[in-house]
Amino acid sequence: MSDHFSGPRALSEPAADITDVYAFPAPDSPDHLVLVLDVFGKAGPSAVFSDAVIYRFRIRPVEIAAMGPETAFAPSQTEFTFDCTFDVPNGTGNAVRRVQCGRCLTPDGRVISFRADDENGGVDDGVQVFAGQRSEPFFLDVRMIEKTAATGKLSFKPKGSDTLYGTNILAIVIKFDWRKMLEGGPLFAVVCETLAAGKRPVRIERVGRPEIKNVTLSWKQFDQINRDLEIRDLYNSEDAFDVKPDYFDVYRMRMNANLAFHDGLDGKIDWPFDQHGNHPLTKLLLADFLVVDASMPFAETSYFDIERSMLEGRLHTTPGGRWLNQDFMDFVYTLYVNSGNGPPVNDGVDAPIAWSSKAFPYLAPPNPPKGAAA
Amino acid sequence: MTDLSENFVPEPEVGSLTLTNGAIALLNLQAQIDGLEGHDTFAEAATLIDLLILRGLILGRISDYERAAQLANRQVGEATTDAAAYMARARTRAVFHRFAEALDDVDIADRMSPHDTAAKRECAAILQAQGRYHEALAAYATTDDRVSQFERAAALAGLWAERGEADTAQRFYLDSLRSYRGISPFPLALLDFQLGVMWMRHQQLEEARTCFEAAIARVPAYAAAQGHLAEVEADLGNPESALTRLYPLAVSSDDPDYAAQLARILGEMGWNDESSIWRRWAADRYDELTATHREAFADHAAEFWLGAGNNPQKALRLATLNLEVRKTPRARELLAQALDANTAGAASARCSGAPLPN
Repeated sequence: MSDHFSGPRALSEPAADITDVYAFPAPDSPDHLVLVLDVFGKAGPSAVFSDAVIYRFRIRPVEIAAMGPETAFAPSQTEFTFDCTFDVPNGTGNAVRRVQCGRCLTPDGRVISFRADDENGGVDDGVQVFAGQRSEPFFLDVRMIEKTAATGKLSFKPKGSDTLYGTNILAIVIKFDWRKMLEGGPLFAVVCETLAAGKRPVRIERVGRPEIKNVTLSWKQFDQINRDLEIRDLYNSEDAFDVKPDYFDVYRMRMNANLAFHDGLDGKIDWPFDQHGNHPLTKLLLADFLVVDASMPFAETSYFDIERSMLEGRLHTTPGGRWLNQDFMDFVYTLYVNSGNGPPVNDGVDAPIAWSSKAFPYLAPPNPPKGAAA
Repeated sequence: MTDLSENFVPEPEVGSLTLTNGAIALLNLQAQIDGLEGHDTFAEAATLIDLLILRGLILGRISDYERAAQLANRQVGEATTDAAAYMARARTRAVFHRFAEALDDVDIADRMSPHDTAAKRECAAILQAQGRYHEALAAYATTDDRVSQFERAAALAGLWAERGEADTAQRFYLDSLRSYRGISPFPLALLDFQLGVMWMRHQQLEEARTCFEAAIARVPAYAAAQGHLAEVEADLGNPESALTRLYPLAVSSDDPDYAAQLARILGEMGWNDESSIWRRWAADRYDELTATHREAFADHAAEFWLGAGNNPQKALRLATLNLEVRKTPRARELLAQALDANTAGAASARCSGAPLPN
C-alpha cells in the first residue's frame, strides 16, 4: 500500500485509488512477465472494482540513455497497453461478495473475459488475467513514519506495528509471454493508471515507483517554496512518460527537499546535491515508472537494482522491477538515509500477514474480516 | 453562458458524466467503513468518521451519526493536539445541530493549524446551517483560492438553495456539474437532493420530482431522496407510488421521517388503522430522538407534531427551539406555522389524525 491515500481525488473513489504496482519475471515461467495493479487499500469484504474506471497497464520499451551521475532512461514512443474494465456486480454470489465480471483488452486487440475472485482468471493464448480481493502484500509502520517526519529523527522501533496487518486490497494480475505480446525490450518501463471511462478517458491516478507520492512527495513542511501546496493530484494528472514542464520544477523542489530531509536523518550527508542544486536521485525518481528487464530470471529483491547499477556505471544483474515480497520500507529508508553506506535501516516490520506465493495469481488469498478473525 | 431564463432541473440521465454505479459506490462505502474499523492512525479515524456521516446521510441511519459522534469524542480525548480530531468532532456536532459547540471545535482546529483551509471551510458550512448567510459567504470567500471549483460551486449552490434564491442556486449547481472531476456519485446526488428540496419549498413539485429522481438515478439507495420523492409523488396525486417507496424505508430506517410520511399519506387516503400504527411508531421515535438529540430533530419532530402527530403545543416548543439554533427561512416558516396552528380553531385545519394518548 505504498501509494494509498495518495491525493484527495483518489481518496474520494477508493476503487480508483492505486496502492501498489509490481512488475517481475514470472517465477513459475521464465518466458512470462507479470504485472500487478493493487487498488482499494484496507478493502472491506464487499469491495468491488468500479464500473466507471479503466484500469490501465502502460508498457514502453526503454533504453538506458546515460549512466553515472547523469543516469537516465529513454522510454520509447511505442506503447503497449492492457485495459481492464468491470461490470456492475450481479445479485448472485455469497451474502457479502457479489459476482463481478470483467474483461481485459490486450495490446493486440483481444478481449479476455474473467470473473472476479476466480483464481484461474481468464486465459487466452499466453495471457492470463486475474482480478479480485487478495491479502495486502505491503507492510509498514505508518505511525513511526509519521513520527520520523514530525520529529526529524528515525523513530522506528525494533518491533514495529504493521499498519496493514490482516488487511486486503483489490488486485489485477496479468501474466503474459512478453516476446509474443510486446516489441522491443528486454528493458520495459511500466506505469499503471486508473482513468474515468468515457469518450475521452481522464486520468485519476498513476503509479510507477513505490512511495513516490507519499513518503517522497507528500511532506510539505520541508519544501521552502511550495509548503502550502498539495501537489499529489497535480502529479497524478501528469503523463508519466511526458511530464509537462509547467509544474516539473514544483515536483523537483518538493522531491529535493524531502530527499534532503531523509538524507539528514542519520546526521551525515550521503547524497550531496549536484552542481544544479538537485539531489542525485531526484531526476531518476521523477522518471516515475518501474523498469524491469524481462529477459532476466526472477529475483526476490531486485527493485532499483537497474538504477543502482546505472548510477555506479555497471551493468545490472537482476531483473529490477518489483516483486511482491520485498521489504520495501527497509529498502527505501536505507537508500534515502545512507545510500547503503551505513547500517541498513529497519522499520521493525519484516513481513506481511501472508507472503505471496510463486504461483499465479501470486498474492495470498484475502484475510477474513477482523470481526470474523476475532 | 448558460440560459437561466427557464428553470433548470437535471436530466435523470447522468449524461456525459462518468460516475461509478450507485450500487457499487454503496458496496464500496461499506467496504471502506469495514476496512477502517480498528483504525491504526488518527487520519484513518477521521476518515472513518466522515464515511460514517456519509453513510448516515445516504441511508438515513441515525445510528451511523451516533457512532461517528462517539468516535470523534474519543479521538479528541486521545489526540488533544490533533486539529483533524477537532475537525471531525465539529462535523459530528454540526450533524446534530450543536452548532455553537461545533464552531468551538473549528476554532480550536483553526488555531492549531492556521494555514489549513479545512477549518475555514467547515466554519462556513456551519454558519450556513445556522442561517448566518452573509458570514458564511464571507467565510467561503476566504477559502476560494484553496478549494476546487467544484467544492466552491457546490457549497454556494447549497447556500443559495437554502436561502431560496433559485436562479443563483441553479447557476452554481450547473457550475458544480461542469467542474466535477470525480467519479463518485455521492457528491452529485447530494447536490441534486438539495436542489430538489429548494423546489419543494417553492411548491414547484415537478422540478422537485426531477431533482429527486436524478439523485436516485445516481444512488438508488439514497433514503432521503426516496422519501422526499414519495412526498412529492403523494402531493402530485400518486400516493400508491409514494407508499411503495416509503414502506421499505419506514421498516429499515431508524429515522422516523419515513414512518411519519407514511402515516400522513395513509391518513389522507383514509386508511386510518394502518396510519395510526405508523403514527404511533413515529411519535415514540421522535420523542426518543428529541430527548437525546434535541436540537437535531427539533425541526422534523415539529413538522410531525404539526401534521400527522397532531400536537400543536409540542410542535410550537420544538419549532421555537429550532429557531434558536438556526435562523433559516425554513425555521422561521416552521415557527410561523406552529404559532398559527396554536391559535384557536387553526389547529384542526392543519393537524391531521386524532391526538395521540400520552
